[in-house]
Amino acid sequence: MPAQFAAKRLGKELQKISNSLPPGIELVSANNLEEWLLDIQVLDNNPLYQNEKYRLKFRFGSSYPIEPPEVIFVKVPDRPIPMHPHIYSNGIICLDLLGTGWSPVQNVESVCMSLQSMLTGNTKDERPPGDEEFVRANRLRPKDIEFYYHDNDV
Amino acid sequence: MKVKITKWNAVATWRWDIPEDDVCGICQVHFDGTCPTCKYPGDDCPLLSGKCGHNFHMHCILEWIKQDSAKGQCPMCRQRFEWTEQPSETSMDMTQGASDV
Repeated sequence: MPAQFAAKRLGKELQKISNSLPPGIELVSANNLEEWLLDIQVLDNNPLYQNEKYRLKFRFGSSYPIEPPEVIFVKVPDRPIPMHPHIYSNGIICLDLLGTGWSPVQNVESVCMSLQSMLTGNTKDERPPGDEEFVRANRLRPKDIEFYYHDNDV
Repeated sequence: MKVKITKWNAVATWRWDIPEDDVCGICQVHFDGTCPTCKYPGDDCPLLSGKCGHNFHMHCILEWIKQDSAKGQCPMCRQRFEWTEQPSETSMDMTQGASDV
């Protein structure tokens, strides 16, 4: 698939999200068609995420949207990594939507909304099992990690 | 008054016979426009309608379906994507011809 496919689709998306985004989602920067930053926050009263914003980094390959974007949380001042049993402390997210569950009709906005609801629905103040070891040892890009989506409740 | 037409230009518009304001979910371009790889809309960049009721530019959906990760599923509803046979222009002409007889 030629890279112009990705470029045109991303151009469409950028045009749309520059005009409007759902509540709790903000575009931080999109200076090119390779890497965008967005902030998300949860809108309900979940005490785990009150008054916090979280920064997401999207990276797009030339096969987007046939292949999913790489999406991770990044830590910067005032933007911590949200506590969640599927989010490692280095920001890597275990979510089937971003791997085997991807569909090309998903987009930046829908991914942000899914992550919002993933946080909203969580009650556990914990990291995935083996977080420390994973964060120390992992050198793979998220797309090359074979996540085992064992847990559909959270 | 007699008018003699010496010259005329015919102008026609067309659109796909699907609900208005619909975009292809994969490329997000209006169906009456082309997929990102094509230059001219219409027969050069046709649509495929799934039996599940979801439409895509043919080039977009084929790009998806050929991926292993697609598992042959419609990107919208994840049902098996099977497209409906669309009557071609020739077969429609033949039907009309037959009814005239």
